Amino acid sequence: MAEHTVASFDEDLRQISRLIIDMGDLAGSMVGASTRALLESDNAMAQRVVSDDAIMDARQRELDDRAITLIAKRQPMADDLRSVVGAIRMAGDLERIGDLAKNIAKRVGSVGVSAAPRDLSHSIDGMAQMVLIQVQAVIQEYTAGDATALAKLRNDDERIDVKYTSVFRELLTYMMEDPRNITACTHLLFCAKNLERIGDHVTNIAENAYYVLTGTQLPANRPKQDETAMPAPAA
Amino acid sequence: MKPMLSTDLNAVDTTVEKAKIEVKDLNFYYGQSKALKNINLSLPERSVTAFIGPSGCGKSTLLRVLNRIYELYPKQSAEGQVLLDGKNILDRSQDLNLLRTKIGMVFQKPTPFPMSIYENIAFGVRLYEKISKAEMDNRVELALKRAALWNEVKDKLNASGLSLSGGQQQRLCIARTVAVKPEVILLDEPASALDPLSTAKIEELIDELQAEYTIVIVTHNMQQAARVSRQTAFMYLGELIEFDRTEKIFTSPREKRTQDYITGRFG
Repeated sequence: MAEHTVASFDEDLRQISRLIIDMGDLAGSMVGASTRALLESDNAMAQRVVSDDAIMDARQRELDDRAITLIAKRQPMADDLRSVVGAIRMAGDLERIGDLAKNIAKRVGSVGVSAAPRDLSHSIDGMAQMVLIQVQAVIQEYTAGDATALAKLRNDDERIDVKYTSVFRELLTYMMEDPRNITACTHLLFCAKNLERIGDHVTNIAENAYYVLTGTQLPANRPKQDETAMPAPAA
Repeated sequence: MKPMLSTDLNAVDTTVEKAKIEVKDLNFYYGQSKALKNINLSLPERSVTAFIGPSGCGKSTLLRVLNRIYELYPKQSAEGQVLLDGKNILDRSQDLNLLRTKIGMVFQKPTPFPMSIYENIAFGVRLYEKISKAEMDNRVELALKRAALWNEVKDKLNASGLSLSGGQQQRLCIARTVAVKPEVILLDEPASALDPLSTAKIEELIDELQAEYTIVIVTHNMQQAARVSRQTAFMYLGELIEFDRTEKIFTSPREKRTQDYITGRFG
């Protein structure tokens, strides 16, 4: 993309996209660290996620300030306008991802080391990996300007929904098998739900990024496969 | 080139509306130099169309072709067709005075005549119509009301038009244009010499006038084009690069040159 005649306009836009990348990196590391803290009962790591969330919030506020100032000063048009408005919305989703990761981290103490969480949480680990890959990929593809990859990535959220459904059923089974698992599994269920929600925010980011890059919206309907809200199959 | 229309759900297809003016294969020359190259576009009735583009792109030239005002100058010529309600106004047989009553024009710098406010408006009307004093009074009042100037000048209609502020003078010129009951109003940078408040009044006026007139505005101020127009034509080096709904042009233009221009990446 050619430079603006007013060079400081380019610098303003660069700062905003730098903040998005920073927030994206931070979101990725928070998601990774929170699930690792959970699976390894690592309280120190969980604490780090909680304090990272404060950094995430501060970045979002900074981005909002910069974006509003840029709109007021430069009256951006076309792709510039889309990228600034898109950044505000993406920052909102990244901030929510941070909140959800923090929520996972805060459960580390509650799940506890008892009841062999490692056995119970094996499939959560797999789900977390999928979500982490999505979080990292969405920022990467946005930075690379790859709209096709973003459209695919948005549809890939379906796999997370399917995985969530299977984790949900699995944890339900553990709880039925042994009531002593209920406390740990309930917390793990919330964690799985949080991971699923993180996937949804990644989907939003992918949709926004797609619009920023192309100027057109992805079709409203995307595959949905979370079946946990449906009646349970007859046991 | 027929402009491609977007397939958005809320797209307004400008081709299905009645075209007031249709420009077909228009070329324009200043002596040997070609200033407009094969322009084709259709301006819908009772709607505001903006022409934007860098200096020298041909937007003012195109505007000046629409009422043949270019003929005031030697060595300027147009070829092709400009259809007003289906009739070619570039035709030799076209009565120019009649044409200019149908297609009024307001210029960048306010150009009030050195006479009273009342006479500024009555003068033009008298050229084409013989009406009684009472009818003329009515006509002047109506024109000044249309131009949102009546309340500011009703008590001093005999004061000189030149005694008004810049913004008022420009609205007086719009009133003068409206008084001869045109069908199309051409605005050549009508607010570029005005302060923000006067500019806002002119824009509000354009908004109201489009219910009755077909309006074409040339402006260097992109935000203004975005605010007042329903469709926008982007021109560059004498060519029409892109013509589409204004929202489309300013949020996701199809052509890279349009994008570069409106985002400030040109040159």
